[in-house]
Amino acid sequence: MQLIIVFASGLVFGLGLIISGMSNPQNVIQFLDIASLWNPSLLLVMLGAIPVTTLGFYWIEKHHKTAFGSHLDLPGKTHIHAELIIGNIIFGAGWAIAGFCPGPALVALGAGYMKALVFVIAMILGMLLHDQSYLKVKQYFLQHTN
Amino acid sequence: MQWQSTPQGHLRWRIFFIAGILLSSWVYNIGFLMPILQIESNYSTLIFAGLLVGFGTRMGSGCTSGHAVCGISRLSIRSLIATLSFMLSGFLCAYLFFHGI
Repeated sequence: MQLIIVFASGLVFGLGLIISGMSNPQNVIQFLDIASLWNPSLLLVMLGAIPVTTLGFYWIEKHHKTAFGSHLDLPGKTHIHAELIIGNIIFGAGWAIAGFCPGPALVALGAGYMKALVFVIAMILGMLLHDQSYLKVKQYFLQHTN
Repeated sequence: MQWQSTPQGHLRWRIFFIAGILLSSWVYNIGFLMPILQIESNYSTLIFAGLLVGFGTRMGSGCTSGHAVCGISRLSIRSLIATLSFMLSGFLCAYLFFHGI
């Protein structure tokens, strides 16, 4: 039953991205490229989504469980470090030049776009590069500088 | 690898969530006509952008939906800073990439 709800959540998330036009990379690029004819739709989608999500999280944090009664792990990290900012600057750069972030890329992949497949494979490689190479190099330096 | 260190029992639901996203266009197609997605970037741009998005979201622990929609809704200062970082970077990089320097 839980898995069906999770599946439905993914479905609703994807449908929201399609209906709002956010699965179309051009809408994202036109939002970020303020020097051309500006398309504010992404901002409006955010302004629509955040109040709804705020209500959801308000309920969840009050009841300490999800709407369907299962245990919930909310993010506990509050530490602000350089990697948080640098990582998001790197993400923002990729997001701006192709107009894809992970969610919409998966929607486009499901819709059968070859270009979305290429993007998603590169995205997974980027994640592996972080986990397999970057983190290991970082650990090595941390061990050898102490 | 990250998925191998996924906490016990968390891998399965994550697969179901991703499956829901992947199938959303099919469900949309039942009642409506799926809009055309304009992916105008060439393949080398898509590969470069994909690498940046994958690496960056992992390093920065989130993306648009995680930090901007969910994080800001939870009044997380950390997510607000993350959102400002990728938004400012996005505006700047879009300008540099599409209008060149």
